[in-house]
Order: sequence, then C-alpha cells, then structure tokens
Amino acid sequence: MISTPLSRVDDTDLIRQAQQGDRAAFEALVRQYDQAVLRLALHLTGSEADAQDIYQEAFLKAYRHVGNFRFECSFYTWIYRIVTNLCLDHLRRRQTRKEDAAVVTDSEGEEYSVIDNVADERAGANPERDLMRRELGGKIAKALNRLTPRERMVFELKHYQGLKLRTIGEMLNTTEETAKNTLFRATQKLRGALAPMR
Amino acid sequence: MNCEWVKNNGALYVYDELADDARHELEMHLHKCEGCKAEVGALQGLKTAMYEPLPEVSPNLLAASRMRLQEALETAEQARGFSRWTMDLAGWMRQVRFQPALAVVLLMIGFAGGALTSFIPRNVVTPNQAADQDSSQAAIASIRGITQTPGTNNVQISYDRLVQDTAQGSLDDPKIQQLLLYAARSNYNSGVRLDSIDVLTQKPQDNHIREALIFALRYDKNPGVRLKALAGLKDFVREDVRVRDAVLEALLRDSNSGIRSEAIRALRPASADSSVRATLRALAEQDSNPYIRTESRRVLATLPEID
Repeated sequence: MISTPLSRVDDTDLIRQAQQGDRAAFEALVRQYDQAVLRLALHLTGSEADAQDIYQEAFLKAYRHVGNFRFECSFYTWIYRIVTNLCLDHLRRRQTRKEDAAVVTDSEGEEYSVIDNVADERAGANPERDLMRRELGGKIAKALNRLTPRERMVFELKHYQGLKLRTIGEMLNTTEETAKNTLFRATQKLRGALAPMR
Repeated sequence: MNCEWVKNNGALYVYDELADDARHELEMHLHKCEGCKAEVGALQGLKTAMYEPLPEVSPNLLAASRMRLQEALETAEQARGFSRWTMDLAGWMRQVRFQPALAVVLLMIGFAGGALTSFIPRNVVTPNQAADQDSSQAAIASIRGITQTPGTNNVQISYDRLVQDTAQGSLDDPKIQQLLLYAARSNYNSGVRLDSIDVLTQKPQDNHIREALIFALRYDKNPGVRLKALAGLKDFVREDVRVRDAVLEALLRDSNSGIRSEAIRALRPASADSSVRATLRALAEQDSNPYIRTESRRVLATLPEID
C-alpha cells in the first residue's frame, strides 16, 4: 500500500488524540510502525503465526496503555520497547521448551531446518547454490540459537534492524554500555559457532 | 590505544558505533598491528557471513494482521484511573530489581494508592443514578456535592445543568465543525448522526472530518449512517490508505449487503493494491452472498493482470 502525506501526521497530535480514546488516531499511529514491527517479529520467530500474535499483543497493549506515554522518549522507542519485551518472552519460552517444529535432528545428531530442505522447483533454481545457501542458513540459525534471548535481541536489533546501541539500550530498559557489552558477547559466541565453517 | 582495547571494541567499530575520535585511533592502530587487523577482519567477515535480507512482509499477512487488530480494538478498553499504573509498575519492577530502596518506595506508593482509591465519597450521585431520575430533572447533568448545615434543615447542593443552546455558522467555522464531529460520534439519535455525517461529507478533505467519516463507517450501528459515510469517503480510497483499509473492512465484515456492494464499487480505483485484489479473489470464491460473489468476479474480470 502506498503511504500518503496524510498518513505522516505529527505523532504528537495523534498520540494525544489516541490518549483521549480516538481509535482512528491510534490506528493511524499503528500504520506508521506496524510493517516494521511485523518484519522484526517475523525474522525473530520465523513463524507468521507467532509474528501475528506478537503484533496483536504489542499493539493491543499499546492501545490499552497509551495513556501512560508521557513523551519522555519517542513513540517509536516506546512501541519497540513493548515489542522487544514480547519477543524476549517468546525467545525465553522457546528456549525453555527446546522445541521447534521446523527444526529436526537427523541420525547423526545434526539439526537442520525442515523448511530449508524442501526442494525448490522454481524455474531457474540452482540446486548446488541452493544447497550451499541452505547449509549456511542452517549454521547461522544454529549459531543464533546459542545466544541468550537478550544477546539474540541485541544482535537482531543491531545487525539486522540497524539500530544504534543507544536506542537499543532504551528499548531494552538498560544502558548503552550494557547493550555494547551484550553485543560483544554475542559476536564472540557467533564467531566461535561459525569458525569451523570459514 | 592497545590491543586489549581493540579486542573489546572491535565489534563496535565494525558496527559503526565508535565515536569519531575512537574510530580514528583504532584505524591508526590497525595500520601498525597485524594481530588486531586480523581480529577486526574476522569480525568484519562475521558481519558479512551473517548478512541475509530480512523476510518481506507479504501484503496478505499485513492486511490480515491489521484486520485482526481492528477487530480486537473494538472491544479493547484503555486503562483508566488506578489501573493505568499497573503496566508502569511491571515495567519499573524490571528496572528496580537491583534497587531495593527504590523498590521500597514504590511499594509504599502502591499501598498509599490502594488506600486512596478504596475511599468512596458519600452522598455523590453518579451519572447512572442521575439517569434513573424522572424526566422533570433531565436538565440536570450531574450533582457535584451535598452539604447540610449542622443542626438545621438547610441543605446546599452543587450541581451542573444542561442548557440548550443554538450555534449557527459556516461549515468552515471550527466551532460548528466541533459540534458536527461530536454529533457524528456521540449522539444517541441516529437521525442526528445521519444529518451530521451528511453535512460533514461536504468537507472530507479535512483530516479530522475524514477520521470521523472513517469512524462512522466502521462503528456506527445505523446502516444509513455507514452508507452516507462511505459515500463521503469513496473519492479518497486511492490516495488515503486509512480510507482504503476502512472500506476493505466494510466489504469484509459489514452486516448490510448494500454497504458491502457499495464498498466493492468504491474500491475499484484502488484495484492496483494487492490487498484489494486478494480480498476480491477471496470473496469471489467464498462469500456466502451470491451477489457479492458475482460483483467481485465482475470487478476482477475488468482488472488488468499485474505480476
């Protein structure tokens, strides 16, 4: 859908209207951020259903508690704080359950993603290149799974979403310094996990 | 600048998080130190190896998520009063778990807040009680307070009254617009809501008016009001994504088939939107109303193919 100048109304006005119960104003705010939120949740969870659940819960929570927003940070940071907390909860639950329907273990104990092993029958597909890509993707996924939820979250927001560590610290209710240390630990773990590949 | 510092901050350099002076010093160090150069090179290699494009959010997933959220928002309520603080307390507790003194202060505030909110003022008539009174007191909006002079029959009552008034002016007058917007959203009389929407459709370029029309299309209980709002919005389906979403929602979920039929016609200018096409395709196959199925197929047949 094409964004229009009308959809870029000043956030402050929309927030104040939403705080007065104006649902249309809140929905206009949602439009400005919901694609990015869905993209983040989709990449972290790998599941459209889980991403939708996080999307739903995040914006419902935002609607219920928009009255608490006191303009001490940007609305972007406030929304992402809600989303990252939900994503962290999801990562912690996944780590506790240690189950992922898309990932199975073969007879040699190696984990691989079921989806990555579905044959690509599109015209022009290069089987050898696809195999290499799937192997790399599997190793990256496995390496990321070794991170703690917080390390995973910081790495996701820095490496994939391109946010500044200061912003990441605000979103995770911590300091920039802590976010830096977390990024350091995450990269060290990833280097260790991916070293045999290179 | 030493090798230990480079080892601890190499990731920050690779991710462009160093201050300008620190970055410059590090780069000077890398010119002289092969070990640190290799270390930073390895981190750069990691960043490159980990690169993968983010999954695109399909229009269908986005549209489905938005519709699901809109449905939930219809029954969601914003936290008011004391309950507003419960989310803040949960968020604050994450931060204060290592700050016992602040935690104690918060607990004290919590107890004090609980004690204060359990205090119920006596002798105040609530709006519900006021509504139960007979029509001769309909001019009274609310009772603010009642005080009796001790030892006497003298009672003092503070109250608000409703005073009927009339406003007249141009549609460009902000006061007139404010009253019309209020009538469109809040009046119990559907005839008044219909009249206000009818007038407001003359100025849909105004953002607040357009939002009121969208609100009416989504939430008004009277189909005549919703139809009037749709008529006022249809010229903006193409350029305003909020209008498009509201009309799509009406097409999918309005209880009135006449409104749904009008919604199909209104969406035609926005047929390039993949959500519109996907919705029409789904309706053409699955809708329980045969007229809607036929209309959807007819519109789809007239649309050019887009890859």
